[in-house]
Amino acid sequence: MLFLIELWESVRDFIATGGDVLYVVALALFLMWICMIERFWFLNAVFPKLQSKIIADWDQRSDTTSWYAHRIRDAWISEASDKLSERVLLIKTLVAMCPLIGLLGTVTGMITVFETMATQGTGNPRLMAAGISMATIPTMAGMVAALSGLFFSTRLESKVKMAKEKLVDSLPHH
Amino acid sequence: MKNLLKLLLVSGTVAMAAASAQAADSLDALLEEVKKNRVSEARVNKQREAEFQAARADKQALLNKARAGLKAEKERGDRLKKQFEENEVTLANKEVELQNAVGTLGEMFGVVRQASAEAYGRISTSIVSAQYPGRADFLERMSNESKGLPNIKELEDLWFALQTEMTQSGKVSRFTTEVVSLDGGSEQKEVVRIGTFNLVSAEGYLTYKDDLKQVQPLGRQPDGYMVNSATGFATGGSGLEAVYIDPSQGQILGLLTAKATMMERYHAGGLPGYVITVMLAIGLLIALYKIIVLTVMSGGIRKQLNNPQNPSTSNPLGRILTVYEENKNADTETLELKLDEAILRELPSIESGINLIKILAAIAPLLGLLGTVIGMIATFQQITLFGTGDPRIMAGSISMALVTTAQGIIAALPLILLHSVVAGRSKSIVHILDEQAAGIVAARAEGEKA
Repeated sequence: MLFLIELWESVRDFIATGGDVLYVVALALFLMWICMIERFWFLNAVFPKLQSKIIADWDQRSDTTSWYAHRIRDAWISEASDKLSERVLLIKTLVAMCPLIGLLGTVTGMITVFETMATQGTGNPRLMAAGISMATIPTMAGMVAALSGLFFSTRLESKVKMAKEKLVDSLPHH
Repeated sequence: MKNLLKLLLVSGTVAMAAASAQAADSLDALLEEVKKNRVSEARVNKQREAEFQAARADKQALLNKARAGLKAEKERGDRLKKQFEENEVTLANKEVELQNAVGTLGEMFGVVRQASAEAYGRISTSIVSAQYPGRADFLERMSNESKGLPNIKELEDLWFALQTEMTQSGKVSRFTTEVVSLDGGSEQKEVVRIGTFNLVSAEGYLTYKDDLKQVQPLGRQPDGYMVNSATGFATGGSGLEAVYIDPSQGQILGLLTAKATMMERYHAGGLPGYVITVMLAIGLLIALYKIIVLTVMSGGIRKQLNNPQNPSTSNPLGRILTVYEENKNADTETLELKLDEAILRELPSIESGINLIKILAAIAPLLGLLGTVIGMIATFQQITLFGTGDPRIMAGSISMALVTTAQGIIAALPLILLHSVVAGRSKSIVHILDEQAAGIVAARAEGEKA
């Protein structure tokens, strides 16, 4: 419990020095990871059942070569791939947004720095330090968030693609 | 002398009168008379001489007395001069003696002066002075006194002043004082002083202006939750109460009044900022419209998916399925062409506007960049005019440059996110129409054949 309190303290300190933009970064990161975890769970737990059901349905069919069979097969594949790539676009967008949010933090931090300069002059660099930390920390946080998402989202995408191809391959025209 | 003249005149007239009256025979009488007068005259002269003699003796005595006085004074002068010289020597001796006696204490008095100067600086600006006014005058006098040694009473007063400040800095106390409001009026208010840190009242934080010796409300209060804590503290009764304090004794709160508000910052963006706002508004409206339209559309499509037998013309999938109903007996190639045609007819209304959101999201940061460049141009113009001496002149337009960048990013972020949401929805609808509609038709045809 004490450990958690200390952890929370350090997070709060971090946000206090980094400014409110960190909340936005945290929100984007949270959303991104929730979506990604959901996708991985879907790929590993839900999709295999769906896939085997589709394959079994296909294998039951007597006619697999006519125009109708082709259209039905395409529809099933499309339906499955729609389910597979749900929210993948959102994840990719969130990954791309993270550095942009970080940049927003940089700009707001620099505004703070120049505001301090406008009112207090450049005499005391300590006054500017708050703005500078508000400029640099969100940038870093945005980068880290994007990097953490980039690897897994790429992996997720290739997994989705693989699963799709595997499904297509396992519905042969016999 | 006057008496003498009168005497002569009288005797002359008497003689004349006698002469005129008695003529020649009275010459003897005149002689007799003159002889007589001569005797009396000699007597008078003798008397006068005696008087003169007497006066002379008096004057001589006076002179002698004056001479004696002068001599006495001269002697006294000499004596005093001697005494003065002696005193000079004594004074010098005494000064040396004093210096010896003061010895290390001299240093102590220096410390006292320094301490009182320091205490003056601290106590005159301290908010405790709002509660106990007039403490600083004595300290100011004491720190300015360059000559002379402080006596026990003054030392004690310094001690009391420091002790008061120290004791009061550990106390939270409530008192009534005159608060000068920002529009000039003043009224008596109950004020709570938290140590030497902050003054709070029911309206929020107050400041103590040491130059005017006035308590004023802060020009701009901090965030709402901090003010709430302060007013709660000021109005609360006994017991524990949490409050935000400014540990820099009001400096940070002072800086706060110089800080720009959100609205001021927004307007610093200028024309590019307003254009960005308009673009954000347009993008949000389009996105909202598209989300509503697509949600309604996909709802209709889902309903239709569950019930492919009765195609309704109110949704795109239903319209495509009606094409099949109308061309049931056509061969598969014709049917496919007809279906494709129907699908192509549906797509524009689904995909319209989505690219517009994307374009707006891409243009907003670019407009921000434009604002940045305009701001930098203004900055360099100011440098050309005023030089780089005062960073404050430049800082204004630099903050404008940065504000537009921030506005561009702030506008772009939601638009990008909404674009991805809208694009995802439209893509799933397009997939259903493009790839699955034919499958549904095929499944129905198969079912009908069987």
